[in-house]
Amino acid sequence: MKLTHIATIAALAFAATAPAALAHHSFSAEFDVNKPIKLQGTVKRVQWINPHTWIWIDVKKPDGTIEEWGVEAGTPNTLFRLGFTREALPVGTEIVVSGYEARDGAKRANGRDMTLPDGRKLLMGSSAGNDAQSK
Amino acid sequence: MGKATLVVFVLALTASQTNGQTAAAPQAGAARAARVAGHPNFNGLWQAMTEANWDIVAHPARPGPTQFGALFSEPAGVGIVEGNEIPYQPQAAAKQKENFKNRWTADPEAKCYMPGVPRATYMPFPFQIIQGDKEIVIAYPFASASRIIHMTDVGESPADAWMGWSRARWEGDTLVVNVTNQIEDTWFDRAGNFHSDQLNVVERYTPVGDNVIQYEATMTDPKVFTRPWKISLPLYRRLEKNAQFLEFKCVPFSEELIYGHLRKK
Amino acid sequence: MRAATIATSFVVLALVVVHGQGQSKTPWGDPDLQGTWSNQTLTPLERPAQFKDKPVLTEAEAAAYEKRLVEQGDVDNRTPGTVQDVNLAYNQVWWDRGNKIVADRRTSLIVDPPDGRIPALTPAAQKRREEDRKAGDNEKSAASWLDFDVYSRCIIRSALPRLSTGYNNNYEIVQSPGFVAIMQEQMHETRIIPLGNQPHLTSTVRQWLGDSRGHWEGNTLVVETTNFTDEARGSTFQYATKNMRLVERFTRTSDRTIDYQFTVSDPDTWTRPWTAKLPWNRIDGLIYEYACHEGNLGLEHMLSAARATDDKK
Repeated sequence: MKLTHIATIAALAFAATAPAALAHHSFSAEFDVNKPIKLQGTVKRVQWINPHTWIWIDVKKPDGTIEEWGVEAGTPNTLFRLGFTREALPVGTEIVVSGYEARDGAKRANGRDMTLPDGRKLLMGSSAGNDAQSK
Repeated sequence: MGKATLVVFVLALTASQTNGQTAAAPQAGAARAARVAGHPNFNGLWQAMTEANWDIVAHPARPGPTQFGALFSEPAGVGIVEGNEIPYQPQAAAKQKENFKNRWTADPEAKCYMPGVPRATYMPFPFQIIQGDKEIVIAYPFASASRIIHMTDVGESPADAWMGWSRARWEGDTLVVNVTNQIEDTWFDRAGNFHSDQLNVVERYTPVGDNVIQYEATMTDPKVFTRPWKISLPLYRRLEKNAQFLEFKCVPFSEELIYGHLRKK
Repeated sequence: MRAATIATSFVVLALVVVHGQGQSKTPWGDPDLQGTWSNQTLTPLERPAQFKDKPVLTEAEAAAYEKRLVEQGDVDNRTPGTVQDVNLAYNQVWWDRGNKIVADRRTSLIVDPPDGRIPALTPAAQKRREEDRKAGDNEKSAASWLDFDVYSRCIIRSALPRLSTGYNNNYEIVQSPGFVAIMQEQMHETRIIPLGNQPHLTSTVRQWLGDSRGHWEGNTLVVETTNFTDEARGSTFQYATKNMRLVERFTRTSDRTIDYQFTVSDPDTWTRPWTAKLPWNRIDGLIYEYACHEGNLGLEHMLSAARATDDKK
C-alpha cells in the first residue's frame, strides 16, 4: 500500500464557525490520525446499514495477492433521500479511498475521501441533482 | 370575488367545520369514537396475550437457562400458527433446530435488536397505534422499534430494514398491511423460527368491538418455506386508567453480552 | 346588491376568523401538524462573538454569512492529517446539515436571554462538562462501553430537545384524537405525547427521552417533558441534570413550516431558564430506518482498538 502525500489544501480553519454537533462521533478513537492510507480496489460487497455504510473492497497488492479491506462510510439514509438505492455502488466498481487505518490493526479504514479512478467523487449526480457536490 | 363565488366559499368553510367525528376524551377509560375519518378507530395502547414470543407453535413448558431456576423458564402454549405447523423446507427445518439449541445467545432479542414484523406484535409488551390518514405509526417499546405504515403510494424501499417497509390500504373495515424488505436477521420467536430476506408478510387488522383487534399475518418466503402460512391472535386494548406507552430501551442491558469480550481485564 | 355583498363579506370574514385564518385541522378539530419535517439549519445555537450586538442580520449580511457557512461546512475542503480531519470522517455527500440559516435571519437560535448565549452554568454543571470532556479524551483507552457516550452506544442520538445535527434531522408527526406522535429518524424512536392533564410518571420512573404531556393553547401544541435520566454520558441536554424541565411549542405557520420553540430550566445547571427557536420545514422525502445499535460496528472497533493499544502506554 502506498502512502499518499496529500497536498495540503489552502487551510480553511474549520473550527469556531463550524456547525454545531459536528464531530460528535469518536472517529479518532476508531481510526488512527497517524496512519493515513490510500487504497484502490474493486467493490465486493456493500452493507447499506446504519450508523455506517460498509464498503468491502478487494485490493490487489503489488505482489499480485488480493487483500480484503472494509471501508466505513456514512449513513445510507442521506443517499436514499438523494435518490440513490442499494444499486448505487455495483459490485465490481473500482474505487479509490483516502482515509485513515483502523487503530486496532484490522484491515479497515474510513472513507474520508472516496473517488472513482478518474478522480470524480463517488456518488456524484443523482435524480435529485445535488449541486453542492460538483467541485 | 362574485357573489356566487362568495356563497360557495362560505358553504365550503361551513362544511369543513362539521366534517369528521367529534373527538372523544383522550384519557384511557373514557368513551372513544368508534370511527375516525371514516375508518375503524385503532388508536390506543394494545397488547397480545399469548405465549407466542416463547414459541409461535404449540409447545410444552420448558426450562430456561438453568442457573436461574424457574425464573426464566417457559410456559406451555397452544400456538398461534394455523394448522400448528411451519412448513419449512428440509434444510431450513434443520437450521431452526440449530437456532433452538443456541437460542440464549443467538436470539436477536437477547441483543436488543429490533424484532421485525410480526414478532413485534406479539411480544408481551403494550404498543401504541397512532392512526393518521396518510401515515399510521406503530410504536413498540422493545428496543424502541417503530414503524411508519404508508397509506399512500411511496414506491419501493431503497434497502432492507429491521422493521421492513410497510404499505397499507383499507379493505372495508380491515387494515391490510403489506410488509416487504425485512432483513433476514430477525426471528419469529425465542424458539429459533426464522426467515430469509425474501420474507413477505401481509397483516390484517380487523376490529372486534371497541377493545379487541383480530390480528392475522400471512408469511411467504420461497427460500425457507414450502408454502405460505398464517398466524392469528387477538390484540387487547390496555384499559387501566393510567396505562401509557413506556420505553424499553434495552441496549444497555445487552452490552455485556455483545461487547463483554472487549472489556479491559 | 352592494349591501348584500358587504354582508356576505362579513360572514366570510367571521368564518375565516373562527377557523383561525384558514388553519388546517385534523378531522376531529385539532390543529394539523402532520407530515414529514426537518429541523436542519446552519444557524448556530449561540450567537457567535462576531455578531455580539446583532440579533438579526440584514438580507445582504445573511446571504454572505450563509454562503460562508456553506463553504466552511463543505467537508470536502479540509486539512488532512489532523484529528479533526479524522473526525469529519467522510465526503460531503454523506452529510446533510442543510444549506440555509433561519429564514428570519437571527444570528442565534437562542432568543432568550437576549444576548443569544446559554446562561451561566452552575459550578456543578461546569464540573460535569469538564468531566465529560476528560472522558472524551480518554476514549482511546476505554475500559468498556460505559466510557463512551449514549451517541456512540446507540442508546439515544441526542437528548431532548433535539437540535440540528449532521444528518437525519427528520421527523414524522402523526396525530390521533388525544395523541400526537413524533417519530424521530435519529434514531427510530417515536415520542408518544398524550394530550390532556394526566400527571407525569412517578419520579422513580425515568426515561431517556423523558415523559411528555401535551395540550393545545390555541393553535400551539405545548409539550412538557420531565422524568429524564442522567445515568450515562451524554444522556442529558447540555450537561443538565435529570431534573431538567423541557417545554416545547409547536405552531404551524404555513403549509411548509412549523414554528418550534423550546424552553429548558434546571436550577442545578443554568442560572436561569433559556429559550431557543428553530423552524421545522416540510420535506418532500421520506423517513428511513436508522437501526443504530444493530449495526454498531463502530463501538466494537473502538473497544478492540483500546484493547490493542492497552500495552502501548
